[in-house]
Amino acid sequence: MHMAHASFPFLSAILLSCVAGMIAIMLIPADNKLLIRRVSAFFSGITLILSLWVFLSYDKGLGGLQFVENVRWIPSLGISYFNAVDGFSVPNLLLTGIVFFTGVLTMWELETRVKEYFALYFLLVTGVFGLFMSMDLFFIFVWYDVSLFPMYLLIAVWGTTRKEYGAMKLTLYLLAGSALILPAIIYIYAVSGLHTFSFVSLMQPGLLSPNAQKFAFLLLFLGFGILAGVWPLHTWSPVGHVAAPTGVSMVHAGVLMKIGAFGVLRVAIMLCPVGWIYWAKLMAVLAAIGIIYGALVGLRQIDLKYVIGYSSVSHMGVVGLGLSTVTVEGLNGAVFQMFAHGIMTALLFSSVGYIYDRTHTKLIPELGGLSRIMPVASAFFIVAALAGMGVPGLANFWGELVVFVAAFRTYPLLGIVAVVALVVTSLFMLRVVQRTFYGPENERFAKLPDVSPAQGIPRIILAAVLLFVGLYPSFLFDVIQTASVPFMSGLPR
Amino acid sequence: MNWTTAGPEIYYFAASLWFLLATFIGDGFGPREAPPKAAPTLSAAQPPASHRRREHLTALFLASVGVLVCLISTGSQGHLFIRAYRVDLFSQVFKTLISLGLFLIICLCGDMTDIRQRRHHEFYFLLFTCTLALMLLVSADHLLSIYISLEVSSYSLYILVALRKNQGFGLEAGIKYFLIGTFSSAVMLFGMALLYSMSGTTYLDDMARVLPEIIGQPGVVIGLLFTLGGFFFKLAVFPFHLWAPDAYQGAANQVAAYIATASKVAAIAVIVRVLAFAGQGSVYLVHVLAIVSVVSMTLGNLAAIVQKDLKRLLAFSTIAHSGYVLIGILVLSPAGYSGVIYYALAILVMKFTAFMVIVELASDGRNLQIEELAGLHRRSPILALALMVSLFSLAGIPPTIGFTGKFLVFVAAIEKGYVALVIIAMINVVISLYYYLLVIKAAYLLEPAVALPPLGVSMPKKLLAGVSTLVIVAAGIYPSWLIQLARSAAQSLIWTR
Repeated sequence: MHMAHASFPFLSAILLSCVAGMIAIMLIPADNKLLIRRVSAFFSGITLILSLWVFLSYDKGLGGLQFVENVRWIPSLGISYFNAVDGFSVPNLLLTGIVFFTGVLTMWELETRVKEYFALYFLLVTGVFGLFMSMDLFFIFVWYDVSLFPMYLLIAVWGTTRKEYGAMKLTLYLLAGSALILPAIIYIYAVSGLHTFSFVSLMQPGLLSPNAQKFAFLLLFLGFGILAGVWPLHTWSPVGHVAAPTGVSMVHAGVLMKIGAFGVLRVAIMLCPVGWIYWAKLMAVLAAIGIIYGALVGLRQIDLKYVIGYSSVSHMGVVGLGLSTVTVEGLNGAVFQMFAHGIMTALLFSSVGYIYDRTHTKLIPELGGLSRIMPVASAFFIVAALAGMGVPGLANFWGELVVFVAAFRTYPLLGIVAVVALVVTSLFMLRVVQRTFYGPENERFAKLPDVSPAQGIPRIILAAVLLFVGLYPSFLFDVIQTASVPFMSGLPR
Repeated sequence: MNWTTAGPEIYYFAASLWFLLATFIGDGFGPREAPPKAAPTLSAAQPPASHRRREHLTALFLASVGVLVCLISTGSQGHLFIRAYRVDLFSQVFKTLISLGLFLIICLCGDMTDIRQRRHHEFYFLLFTCTLALMLLVSADHLLSIYISLEVSSYSLYILVALRKNQGFGLEAGIKYFLIGTFSSAVMLFGMALLYSMSGTTYLDDMARVLPEIIGQPGVVIGLLFTLGGFFFKLAVFPFHLWAPDAYQGAANQVAAYIATASKVAAIAVIVRVLAFAGQGSVYLVHVLAIVSVVSMTLGNLAAIVQKDLKRLLAFSTIAHSGYVLIGILVLSPAGYSGVIYYALAILVMKFTAFMVIVELASDGRNLQIEELAGLHRRSPILALALMVSLFSLAGIPPTIGFTGKFLVFVAAIEKGYVALVIIAMINVVISLYYYLLVIKAAYLLEPAVALPPLGVSMPKKLLAGVSTLVIVAAGIYPSWLIQLARSAAQSLIWTR
């Protein structure tokens, strides 16, 4: 694999700006809320710019690993601080940057325990960034857990509906995932006999025996799959999303679930390709069930956030279906869908957060006719909902299209079923839009203000990204291609 | 014979003598036997605070010099007492850990209201004696010296537990502790006798030569397991764990902290030393240890879930942690031993941090209930942070010292092929996170029924909390140096053999 070392450690700079932001926030007195918000916006803005820079300057002609930083960390165990990006991780890095920044802006109006909220939020995002850029299995695991444990407090302190239950359920489920991942990682380390956790060394074809790959793949797929919301391990996800405060829901559904899918791709699939091919059918079936199940259960929900939560299960099923096809197109579509779904879901939660903060309800029957009361806020939600339905011109269309084309070729039956399920998704999204934003108004909310231009900034950014990527999909596809094509051509057949 | 090799032991012997003399001489204030009816006027019965302060400072000074003495003597090597006593890097690392444990615990004894003022000399005397005995234990290289040092340390602890002012509580705990302790030492003696009859020697060095050939024989396996029983009592491993919750609950907070830290560290050391000579062990031995380990962690974690008393909860978590430690021991490889040595350090730091919060919060020495943590994040942010970090470390969440310890142990186990054991341990980690999260929830989420004032935590204590939190995190982020130290210590166990 080609490796280009970084002239300047941009990737570490991203992590550092998150950590520096966290430390800066912790040093500000708790009463100075405005300063805390500004500092948060400043550091998350720097992070966004850095991740955008990494994305734009990733050399598509060269491909392979770029921005490589490699420092020996624990030599006696073969652990190194090894950061790099490839075509799979670059889009996710950009996604995290965007959601992180817009998440800070969305939570601008937070008043309770502001300092602690942003400090934990920064810690969470540090873990996410670390996981996307790490090339060392040990660090991948460490970042996974770093991004996990601030969640408990973030949801339990600042959340809403059944927050303690949701927080506990989410944390235990995700830790159960790590309980499968850690033995698998150490197993790969021990079986390889190389005494290294370096991803690049462990990727040599033929290093792990087929049986070892099948065993490790299953553990890794289930472990990361919990975080990716794979049916039937998804039950934490709607509950957790509903309970979390808006900014955390955004990061959570937007980025954290992507960590799961990315972990399946990066660790399970790339290290154990034989296991991948062996278990692909299982992945496909679970993904298809997830798509259908999420859509059908979503149809029955009356809580706006539950609707989004179940649509996430359904949409992450599309990612899983893409990964299970064992084709270049499938991988391309899956990574594209990760990005698109991340932005879309962040926009949905951001809009619902605004509506909830004003109306103090998320129940669809109590809302209604909102498009006349707050037309701008409604527009944001409707744009995101349209993206979720896969309307051409918005990002998700491309991800779903490519995945389904690939799925039809590999699993014709499951492909048809999944497409039908997607029609159901559109149906329930349309129904939600119709009931929430049209129809008779609720008089209680008639006096509520619409989104002001300043409050609109994060939502405008997200909607603009959806539209831009929807109109110019090769912006992402060209990058993803640089990783998926060499990987698939190197597969043992 | 070179006496300087036994520097730490001689030092701690002298220090305990100092406190022993102090108990004879007395303080020169007040009647020695406070009349029972004078209890209402506490101020009259209590000697001036300055005396208490002076004693505490003396103890603190002696303990801190002790840490220095141990650090200086880390390089020394050799045998004493006709090879019954062995000084190597392994023993010296553990002596440093134990002395550090004593120093940290004495830091918490500043306003110890839970033990009668006039008993303070005895308290420090017993604490130093126990430390001395634990140091002898980690160096003992002969069955008899192991037995004697184990008994000395246990007897000091029996009395320390019973010293608590609230007589009913302390005495009950002390008696339970004593009965189970004597029972397990009887088992241990029987095991040692069996080992002697099979191998014909009482020196661990000689056994290392003889045992690997006869390790398959039932008498040896049973002898080894029975001998381990005595150490399992110290470490609170199933089936010798029953004392732990009651002793923790009944003892004064500081004493419980000492049992949870220094005493556990020494127990780990002696188990490693005794098993290191068993070579590759036998299948039976490994199986029994694996079962004991799984039962310990599962039982400890499940029982901890329902606890309301924070000290009891920590006691059950100790039992669970003994299970994790046993995984590292039963792989019987240098990698496993070095992992366990690292784990011992981790237990010392994280248990201390958790107990420090208890001692600070329950300033009158009462037993702390979990719901009393309510509002801690507002009353003292630094203590709340220290508690959260130490609990996450106990749960094994990276980047903390507790995670690195578990990681090293698990790597050693999987390299030997015990994948299933590690998966069981990880499932236990998930269970344990549940009750740790309940405690964290109490500290960060619950609000007290009546608004409580901020805690007046003194500057040195704040510093201590900050430093131990930092150590937990820093040793998790960059553990390379400590891992290296643990490896060399584990090497020194085997190298002369």
